[in-house]
Amino acid sequence: MNLRLLVQTLRWNRARLLPVMVVSFGWGMLMPVIYVAFGDAFKGLVDSGVIPAELMNFGSGSLFTLPGALTLGLQHPMTIAFVGVFAVGSTVAAIAGERERGTLEVLLARPLSRRTIYLTVAAAAVILISLVIIALLAGQVTGVAVQGLSDELDLVQVPLVFLNGLLMWGAFAAFGLAASVTFDRHSPALGVTMAYLLVNYFLEILGSLWRDVDWTQQYSLFHHFQPGNILTGTVDPFDFGLLAAAIVVPVAYALIVFPRRDLAAPS
Amino acid sequence: MEDQQPAAVIHTTGLTKHYGSVHALVDLSLDVRPGEIFGFLGPNGSGKSTMIRTLLGFLHPTGGSARVLGLDIVDDSVEIRRRTGYLPGGIALYDSLSGAAALDYLNDLQGTPAVRREELCERLQMPPSVLRRKVRDYSRGMRQKIGVIQALQHDPELAILDEPTEGLDPLMQQAFYSLMDDLRDQGRTTFFSSHVLPEVERICDRVAIIRSGHLMALHNVDDLLARRKRKVSLRWRGIAPELSSIPGLADVETDGDRMTATLLGDVSGFVRAIASPSLVDLTIEPARLEEAFLEYYAGDDASEEVRG
Repeated sequence: MNLRLLVQTLRWNRARLLPVMVVSFGWGMLMPVIYVAFGDAFKGLVDSGVIPAELMNFGSGSLFTLPGALTLGLQHPMTIAFVGVFAVGSTVAAIAGERERGTLEVLLARPLSRRTIYLTVAAAAVILISLVIIALLAGQVTGVAVQGLSDELDLVQVPLVFLNGLLMWGAFAAFGLAASVTFDRHSPALGVTMAYLLVNYFLEILGSLWRDVDWTQQYSLFHHFQPGNILTGTVDPFDFGLLAAAIVVPVAYALIVFPRRDLAAPS
Repeated sequence: MEDQQPAAVIHTTGLTKHYGSVHALVDLSLDVRPGEIFGFLGPNGSGKSTMIRTLLGFLHPTGGSARVLGLDIVDDSVEIRRRTGYLPGGIALYDSLSGAAALDYLNDLQGTPAVRREELCERLQMPPSVLRRKVRDYSRGMRQKIGVIQALQHDPELAILDEPTEGLDPLMQQAFYSLMDDLRDQGRTTFFSSHVLPEVERICDRVAIIRSGHLMALHNVDDLLARRKRKVSLRWRGIAPELSSIPGLADVETDGDRMTATLLGDVSGFVRAIASPSLVDLTIEPARLEEAFLEYYAGDDASEEVRG
């Protein structure tokens, strides 16, 4: 890893990082408010049979419990948009974007191995994703405190939620970086990574709304991000292991493929 | 073929690069000697950039081998780039950085003090006021100057420059040529890719000509020029000079008191032979590398002629 490259990569992202963190914090604060304001009302609707219980679930989250509400916030499309700025946007641009702009030329002219470049941009992605997740969780913890619900939240479990979230978004980031080292242009790398993310999300949502095909959720990385279970003290090591494997495979691929690739002159 | 020289800064043996069925480099063997400016000539698509990118480890050779600064291009690529300065053709820079910040950043990554930056900025007329501006606001020529500076600011043992004068105005081209001369005087080696023949002629010691990935010729520039035919024309008053015995003179055409011909070889012998009171006017056009270059590209066969 190269410290100077890491610092510069983070600098190039700082203009996006600050607003994304602020918005993420605000979004995190909102979920406990919604839970307090509408949780009982939604539960009443479900209990009355007017609305099927499935429609009150979203992925692994719901508004019926505080952990469920927090999970809902962490799996909501808004959250995907916030974290995706770095887990997808920055990672696919890290190599393919530089290559498309032609700036990879001057970078590779320095005494940096391609593995060093890859590991440095991967480290930058981990830092950026971590900061956004921390902002989300900090917002949620603050919201819980503001709503007077601190006794319903086991703060000791929050670091595990962070780790679980980092592993899941790290898996998408690793996939994005693998796509980035594979393609010469930014667009196909972005397209493939977005497709990967959307298919995972679709499988998770499909299974949660249509219980007959709930087996599809097992094939979604989102299903192995379980903040609700963790906050209630049910930690499944399999989820962590599977997400770690989903990181290792694309990282190994990139570390093998990138140094071996021919990098012809940019057209 | 040249004798293998262990001290060569660049030494390739049968270097070959194929992209599927496209043969970008074919069995290319050459040496670049310490302290020389080595011109690498060829039209677009001839394999010049492929050669450079293979030497720097951007591309992996299909066959053959090469050493740069005594280091293997496959196993020691990082160390080669530590001791080398590279200017890519049509360089792209980080638009959001100022010129100074871009140079700082690239030099930090190089990890070697930028001992020549001040001198280079002065000679290429990039004062601090210009360096403070964002790269995105630079003209093409200014970007090229930043490219030259980033390649040379750490005073590399070997500079690999791909079309270095592209976009430079004539004044800056002269400044660049002068810079190259000084680098040579200081014992630095330059591998210089270009299709601008007059500049290769102006600054290079030796030149390799490449076509379709094949090395067509490798010559001292002076030797190459000495072997070119020059156009001569002369005018006299009274008795025509005797030209038939002058060696190297051909294609003689006489029109009254004027004569045109081509001259191959020694000019001084020709001048001595025609010197007479009847001579009124004499024009000898300088030999141009361009003619040699075009000669190598005139035929279809890739027959090799390589000389040291």
